[in-house]
Parts: sequence; C-alpha cells; structure tokens
Amino acid sequence: MKIYMQPIESMVWFNREGIPHPLRYRILTEDDAYKTIKINHVLFREEEKVAGNRMLLFRCQGEINGVLKVFELKYELSTCRWYLYKI
Amino acid sequence: MKKRFIFHIDVNSAYLSWEASHRLQRGDSLDLRTVPSAIGGDPETRHGIILAKSIPAKKFKIQTGETLYSARNKCPDLLIVSPNYNLYRQCSMALKEVIQEYSPLIQQYSVDEFFLDFTGMEKLLGDPMQTSYLIKDKIKEKLGFTVNIGISSNKLLAKMASELQKPDKVHTLFPEEIPSKMWPLPVEELFGVGRATLRKFRDRGIRTIGDLASENPDDLKRYLKSYGLLLWNYAHGRDNSPVRYNNSIPVKGIGNSTTIPFDVEDESAAHLVLLSLAETVGMRLREDDYCTSLISISLKTKDFFYYSHQKKLHLPTDCTSVIHQIACQLLAELWQGEPIRHLGLRVSELSSNNLFQPSLFEKDIEKQKRIDQAVDTIRLKYGAQSVFRSAFLGSGLKPLSGGVIETEEYPMMSSIL
Repeated sequence: MKIYMQPIESMVWFNREGIPHPLRYRILTEDDAYKTIKINHVLFREEEKVAGNRMLLFRCQGEINGVLKVFELKYELSTCRWYLYKI
Repeated sequence: MKKRFIFHIDVNSAYLSWEASHRLQRGDSLDLRTVPSAIGGDPETRHGIILAKSIPAKKFKIQTGETLYSARNKCPDLLIVSPNYNLYRQCSMALKEVIQEYSPLIQQYSVDEFFLDFTGMEKLLGDPMQTSYLIKDKIKEKLGFTVNIGISSNKLLAKMASELQKPDKVHTLFPEEIPSKMWPLPVEELFGVGRATLRKFRDRGIRTIGDLASENPDDLKRYLKSYGLLLWNYAHGRDNSPVRYNNSIPVKGIGNSTTIPFDVEDESAAHLVLLSLAETVGMRLREDDYCTSLISISLKTKDFFYYSHQKKLHLPTDCTSVIHQIACQLLAELWQGEPIRHLGLRVSELSSNNLFQPSLFEKDIEKQKRIDQAVDTIRLKYGAQSVFRSAFLGSGLKPLSGGVIETEEYPMMSSIL
C-alpha cells in the first residue's frame, strides 16, 4: 500500500457508544471530478496517539474501478477530518 | 531507610522528535530524525536560533542555541522547521498521561522532562529496571517518539543517568556507580555547571566531575560561596530534593520578555512594548494573588549589549497601569536611545494581595483595580485577544507579549531540582 493522506468527504454513522462506522467516501480526482467509493467492510479499527494526536485508523475493503481493494482511512479527532491514508 | 527509586524521563531531541512523529502520522514519507534537520525560530521575526537538532545534524557540530546562519554554514542542506509550541504541549500532555500510570508521584520538570518516584511501586509493578523498559517501549509504540530513562536513588543522579548515552536507552546511576560512570565525565556535564562556573573551574584545573569531587569543599566555598558546596555535593551524587507533585516551588518573581521583530528607536514604541509585557505580567501576578514591591526592566540593544534597572515601591501593587508607569520611568532612566532588540519586565518581592495598606499620597486605585479585574475575567472567558488597549491598534505590535505561547502557561526549565 502507498501513503496518500488526502482529505476526503465521507458518510459515516456513529453508534450509541460514539464509534464511527464509515459507509462511503468521495475524493477529488486529478481531473477535478468526484469519485465515490462504497465501503463494503471494515476489517479492523485502531486508535493511535502518535505525538499526542488522537486518530482512528480504519482498514477497509471496497470496490474501486471494478476491483476489490483494501485501503486505510484515518479520522482525526481534534479536527473531525477524514483522510484517505493508504491504498 | 527504604531504598528510593527515582526515574528521570527525558525525550530525545524533544522538539524535533515531536515534529517528526507528528509529520509521520500525517503521512509524510520523510522521518526528520534520519536526516540533518533542526527546529529553528523564524528569522523574519528575528527569533533565529536552533532550538533542537537531529542526531545526523549533530555530526555537523550544530549546537542548540546557535544562529540559523552559522548552522547553515556548517551544513548547507540542513532542513529547518519552525517550532509549533501547541504541538509540544500536546505531546507533553500525552507523555504525562502514559507516565502517570506507573506512579502517583510524578513531577513535570520541563516540557520534555519528568521525574517519577517509583519508591514502593515495585511491590505493585515489579522490578524497576523492567518497568522502565516497559515505559520506554510503550511511549515509543504509542506516541511514536523515543525517550531516555535514568534510574537512581535521587533526582540528581537520575537526571545525570538519563543524559549518559542517547537515544532510546535506560541507564542506572546508583551511588556505587558514581566513580565509574559519572566521575570521568567533563565537569560541564554536571547539573548546575554553566558557562560562568565552568570558566572558574577551568582556571583552577578542574576538568572532570571526579576532579570536582576530590576538591576540598572549603576551597570551593571560598570562590563559589554556598553554590560551590552544592556543586561539590552534586559531584558526590548527594541530593535530597523530593519529587514535587505539581512542581510546587514557591514563586519568587514573575517576568516576561520579548524579542521585537524590528529595532525600537522611538520612546512611544518602547512604551507600547512595555505595556504589552505589563499586561502579561500583571495578569499572571493577579492570577496567583500576589502584589509586587520591586519592578525591574531589562533591555538588549541591537548590538547585544544588555542593561537592567530596578525600582523598589513603597506600596505593593498588582495593577497593570502602575507597573507600566514605573517600567516607563525605569526606561527613561536607563535607555540612552540605542535601537532596542529585546525588552523584559519582571516583578519580584511578592506579597499576598489580601491585605492592602492604602496611602494618603497616592492616587486612588480602586477603580483601576476593578478595571483590571474585569479585563482579566473577559480574557479568561473569551480568550486573551478578546479585549486589548486601543493604543495597539495599527501599531504592528502584539497587545500582550512574552511567554512561549502568549498568555498560556508553558512548562519551562528550572535550575531547582
């Protein structure tokens, strides 16, 4: 996997315990068009606290251009921003 | 008495490691710690010195505190990153959270240093050595930066131990290890030996900590007074300072200073800078419920000459305007009109502010006191910039100055263990 760390727009549901479950995200591609990717499955979720900054990492699986791919999303708690971390 | 175990936890090149791990988390592919890099101030606002450096940068003999210009001469490819104090405070707090799990008694000694009293904890957590490795590895894994841990029976030796070899190491320095581990070190490595003391030691042929330990304490007392005795005891590894929870050392004075982005040549601008310092100092003074009866200012000229001047007050005060007014008087007496680079304001001889003896011959300050109180409350509630004096409008100067993060407490170094 390659590190991208691109900001993304996302749709997420939070359960009653406050745990987010990403459903789909969209990213601005090079030709300025939005591309939406549906998340079929979250493989695991991890919390990290590198340099004191809390982030949630999601290893997800979804279909991109007709191919099933594994990718990682990150959620930064202090800014409420979502990132496409690795793909 | 039961054997004490004190840990000293010290982040390796703190500012740089923190910046590096923060960048890695945000997807940067370069680890700053693996290339010659440094954290340095902003030359635009003339805060142009090296604050921290990576280990590869150390190989170019770059030193903390030297100017960016001379550092770039030594290593033209040096990567210089501006400091981010909010990040450092965040890292420091995360570090504290991890350390707190291992003892109820910890002391934050500076932004990147902690003391931990492990005495008695071995019954709960097991061997101190093993625990220290556990702490070190947990910090590395969870927070992404490395620390050195020094273990000994007092704070001084623990601190000396953590300095031994870096990075990512645990060292012990128990009293029986002093002759082999501490005495061969050069005397400037000893805690409390700075530039001035080093010169005196060099003149007298004291080169290592061992040399100092073998000196006659009476001789040391002759030229260093009681401080000589303290250092002699330090050289023998003697120190009995407690691990102070909340770092509760009584305050003796409160001061702030600032390096101005341009040379100040006219009086009104100098007065404004003093006012911005008086605002910060006054707020801190009132927050701690003190009054001051000694006000001093210091100034550094464009050519790095340093002067200071002070005045004793008949009536203790905690009022921003009074402090500012006296600071301006002091400036008038001190300043020859040279371009000013750096100004400082300090208040000391603190007394409690709950009893107040008014004077017949001074202005009634009740109204002023109420204004100060109102401004403090507004700033506390809505932020430090929410209200400021109109004199600063369009002046290009900050309405409050001094401190690392303006108007917020930032743990600084101390010379008291």
